[in-house]
Amino acid sequence: MKIDKSTVDYIAKLAKLSLTDEKSEKMAEEFEAILTHFQSLNNADLEDVKIDYKDNIKSVFRKDETSVFEDKEKLFQNVKSLEGSSIKVPKIIE
Amino acid sequence: MKIEEMSAAALKEAVLNKELSCTDIVKAYFERIDKVESKVDAYLTLCREEAFKQAEEIDEKISKGIPVGLLAGIPIAVKDNICTDGVRTSCASKMLGDFIPPYDATVVKKLKEEDAIIIGKTNMDEFAMGSSTENSAFKKTKNPWDLSRVPGGSSGGSAAAVGSLTASLALGSDTGGSIRQPASFCGVVGLKPTYGLVSRFGLVAFSSSLDQIGPFSKTVEDSALLLQAIQGNDDLDSTSFKGDIKTDYLSSIKDGVKGMKVALPTEFFQEGLNSEIREAVLNAAELLKEMGAEIYEVSIPITNEGLSAYYMISSSEASSNLARYDGIRYGYKAPDYENIDDLMKKSRTEGFGPEVIRRIMLGTFALSSGYYDAYYNRAQKLRKKMKEEFKKVFGEFDLILSPVTPDLPFKIGEHSEDPLSMYLGDIYTVNINLAGLPAMSMPIGISKNNLPIGLQIIGPEFGEDRIFKAAYALEKKINLDYLRRDI
Repeated sequence: MKIDKSTVDYIAKLAKLSLTDEKSEKMAEEFEAILTHFQSLNNADLEDVKIDYKDNIKSVFRKDETSVFEDKEKLFQNVKSLEGSSIKVPKIIE
Repeated sequence: MKIEEMSAAALKEAVLNKELSCTDIVKAYFERIDKVESKVDAYLTLCREEAFKQAEEIDEKISKGIPVGLLAGIPIAVKDNICTDGVRTSCASKMLGDFIPPYDATVVKKLKEEDAIIIGKTNMDEFAMGSSTENSAFKKTKNPWDLSRVPGGSSGGSAAAVGSLTASLALGSDTGGSIRQPASFCGVVGLKPTYGLVSRFGLVAFSSSLDQIGPFSKTVEDSALLLQAIQGNDDLDSTSFKGDIKTDYLSSIKDGVKGMKVALPTEFFQEGLNSEIREAVLNAAELLKEMGAEIYEVSIPITNEGLSAYYMISSSEASSNLARYDGIRYGYKAPDYENIDDLMKKSRTEGFGPEVIRRIMLGTFALSSGYYDAYYNRAQKLRKKMKEEFKKVFGEFDLILSPVTPDLPFKIGEHSEDPLSMYLGDIYTVNINLAGLPAMSMPIGISKNNLPIGLQIIGPEFGEDRIFKAAYALEKKINLDYLRRDI
């Protein structure tokens, strides 16, 4: 199927990625090749296959019990902009 | 025999009999690392100090007569997408380049409980996406059999560590072949367990309905030993199996294959399969026959469509799983940005490598409105049918044999320009992940140009014991020396 640059740009927006025009065009070509190859998905006869998510699957629940994570500092050890125990972010609401 | 050449089982026995101390073992392994690791580049992080400390602690336990665990004194390498408390876990990505997990993955916790000694974290394709370990943001790992060739991927580092004798055992993860293919390329044993047998808690998620952690080892017996240590239900992973599982593979591993019905699917022997690999696999079938198994041909046409379904599903799940990387709570944060949207876009674009970006994009596309039915939904239907077809086959047969890869280990750089050609190499492994079945790759021959050839043995759900029996029997029958002493 035909994938053009504008489709790629739209997908990039959804995925919160920014591609240069060059990369965008290259990706459009790669996608076309990949998706053309994946047309084989249409070969199999899947008319009778119904995806009923209740098949053989039981939801597993855990008891709603609280426990203490001892070393709270550890939880924040990977934050780049920490102020106290708050994570500093750019303004969200204009 | 040098310490690093001994099997894990032999090392353990030597430790329990006080013929070797854990410190002796760790010393030998780090001497080996100092000798060959700069040529192989299997590791991203080495835990030298911690390993010696752990060895000392276990040696003390033994001297005091305190019982030790299943893996006492065995040096083990861990793939860098499995969380290790306090030790960098990067997934070979710039995005997690300085990430220090605040907790151990359940499998790591189990390794420590069984007194294993963690030697280091191994290199991989970034976020487990790739089949050559060339997608690592940090270094390229080399194949211990030929340093100009890839070790396979995505668990290339773990496979190369065991293959170059710089780890006795290793953990990897397999989503579409990422344990089995590098095991085959590096001449070691690699097992992808049944989906749900091993906890995924602490495994950085790529494709949650396909990912499984599994063992790398030099021998089949060692593979069973490590699996026994890491398997089991885990409350922290709601996809981990709650039913009864076999807890002892070692006691039945020498049972042999008499009467086993083994199937060879015709679809796996089509044009495009390297002739030496074909011969080696068919030869393995003959050997099983000599030992009392019955060999049959079977047709599973749906397996031809597996690759497409796999890439659709795994990319879709990846796009969802990797949405969490936004530069805020952890991970790479872009230095310059104008607003929150810009921060996220730049952190992600600068932090992720090209293959990761490609798959996130492919997955986002497959899930986007207008395409969801044609791609993702259709792939899930195909997957359901695939599972049913395999179930039917295992209703009649005990095991399925197949090649692991269509080709021998390729040269570094050979496929890196063409993503599709890289994807096609997964043709024999992905169907197994889609169906949630267990499968092992074991060395079965050596090619004319001295490269290892792997055999894939596929079992029914929770049929790992059957796989071990057949693999053990073959291993003893073939009796080939795979140890790469000189690198």
